[in-house]
Amino acid sequence: MGPMSRRNMLQMMGAAAFAGPLLSASRAFAAREGELNILCWEGYNSAQVLDPFRAAKSATVKAESLTNDPTMINRLRAGETKIWDLINVNNPWARKVMAPAGLIKPLPRETFEPYFDKMLPSFKPPYRWAMSDDGKDLLGMAQRFGPYSFVVNTDKISRATAEEQGWNLFNDPSLAGRYGILESDDWNVFDIFLTAGINPFVEHSEADFKAFEDTAVRIFKGAKMIGDIATMNQALISGEIDLHFTGGTYSVSPARADGYPNLRAITPLKGPIDGKGGVSWIEITSIVNNPQLSPLAAEFLQYVQTPEVAHTVAFAEGTFNPVAQMGNKACFDLFTKDELDAIQWDSVEEEMARSAEYDIVPDYDKALEIMLGAKRQRG
Amino acid sequence: MADTSLSAPEAKLTPGLRASLPVLVLLIAGFLAPLVTVAAYAFATPKSFDVFRSFTLANFAAIVDPSNTVWTSFVWALALAFCCVAILLVICYPIASVLFVFPLFVSENVRLYGWVLFFIKNGVLDGALKWFGFSGGPELLYTPGITLFGMVYVYLPFMLFPMTLGIAMIPRDLVDAASDLGAGRLMIWREVELPLAMPGILIGALLTFVLAAGAVAEAKILGGQSVITITQDIEVAFTYAQNWPMGSALALILVLIVSGLALTAMARIDLDKILGKR
Repeated sequence: MGPMSRRNMLQMMGAAAFAGPLLSASRAFAAREGELNILCWEGYNSAQVLDPFRAAKSATVKAESLTNDPTMINRLRAGETKIWDLINVNNPWARKVMAPAGLIKPLPRETFEPYFDKMLPSFKPPYRWAMSDDGKDLLGMAQRFGPYSFVVNTDKISRATAEEQGWNLFNDPSLAGRYGILESDDWNVFDIFLTAGINPFVEHSEADFKAFEDTAVRIFKGAKMIGDIATMNQALISGEIDLHFTGGTYSVSPARADGYPNLRAITPLKGPIDGKGGVSWIEITSIVNNPQLSPLAAEFLQYVQTPEVAHTVAFAEGTFNPVAQMGNKACFDLFTKDELDAIQWDSVEEEMARSAEYDIVPDYDKALEIMLGAKRQRG
Repeated sequence: MADTSLSAPEAKLTPGLRASLPVLVLLIAGFLAPLVTVAAYAFATPKSFDVFRSFTLANFAAIVDPSNTVWTSFVWALALAFCCVAILLVICYPIASVLFVFPLFVSENVRLYGWVLFFIKNGVLDGALKWFGFSGGPELLYTPGITLFGMVYVYLPFMLFPMTLGIAMIPRDLVDAASDLGAGRLMIWREVELPLAMPGILIGALLTFVLAAGAVAEAKILGGQSVITITQDIEVAFTYAQNWPMGSALALILVLIVSGLALTAMARIDLDKILGKR
């Protein structure tokens, strides 16, 4: 190869290096009618949910799923509001954090409020978690929800005993080595507070933190293993464990659907959050305050409200959950008996009533640090 | 060289430097820049994203604070890595002539979950033993021991390949000569084979140590987090805790420890000897 051709090649490489970013920059400036980016919990990113929308709109829809709320919100904070059009997180974040920080923008109430009329009775408008603090703005749409406390194998511990004993089960020394911990740091923090008999969603005293630490050390030491949803379900089915700390319909429904109805999400009958012992979550999907928002964002929010798509979202891959749209008979009728069994439909209403709704722990950072220290003491 | 058309007078770059520019740019952008960013984050205000805008040693102070137990994670990570390397050295040497390539082509997580199914209660081992009339398999899962087993299993090829290369480099003639001169099998191994194979062995040990010190999946999937390794602490700092500066400080310390050990070992290896002449 002669010098000239080598130079040409270098020139071409240089040109390509400059042209690449410029090309993508020009794409970024183009109108975004044909694309939609969703930051969500898994389920919304499944092909079953997205493909029909992609086909109908000839759109490029990208969805990235994460499994914790703070990370998603921090990505918007770090400047990714320019990238995402929709964000799907648990209930308190839209109202308490994202709206005040200007990360999301309100939905047109006249278009979206009527959907709440068709939802289950507890979501009737104005639905608290979908509204701004002053009650003026509609900040997002509700869909999946569920109680999330702990899971037992009812062949080993009856539902009645588990509900009656509640979090005290994990204070019982005879159960040490027979339970697992579903790793989910924010939920683990809530549940350690609850096991210590403390309301997680208030400011905590030094005495509270002492009790929290003692409980955390004991619970982690007594755990057979810590792992993800698949690990917990596998261990329950194989008999390695009889129950696991942190979990609910969201985590156990795939095992129930696979033919293990003896595994069951449990909500304690009573507890320290104004008498309630369980915690529930409700996802709120909001429109990101993107300077170049895709017009498809609002359309997608309406698309997932239709009975068929709502049913698909409820049974998207990974986890199965009740959806607010089941208040609409057309949607409810799409669920088979087996599907209703998998999501414990027989007790969803009473379990939600016994659960406090997911909230922000004011001194979460300190609690998390103590909990991580307790976890290290396992070894 | 200086008179070729590539080094025109207006360009101050030597041809060599210019030719290496694409690679240099790639290395700076893809290798150095992320490292510098991580290092910069380590000195940023805790729990902030003020990288390059703040400077503090608070993250390191928090790590060395006596009340912080994160040192146990370092100890576990390094101890498991050392044990992993030691075990691999022992088991790989005899089998260095037989290559196991297949495990490399299956995802690590899939292989580890496979072992979970093997060891779990009523799984392959336990179930089979019960079928044969025994009381069941031993309780191995969710212990530090099984974590080490998973690491040895996953990193086996990384020790085996360099070691095979090292052993293949030993000239047969030298072994024969030593034998003719009356050396016993053990003496030949100690005085001839081992020193000649040492570069391959050291490289294998280095590779597996660096990988094993950063291992996390084994402790999570097989070990059920019976011990927490430092990589997991770093992961939590970057996700749930949203404390990137703390995660970076931990990562930086790990990089320093591992590279310190690696460089010490590298100083004893003559790469030319391994890759070039025989």
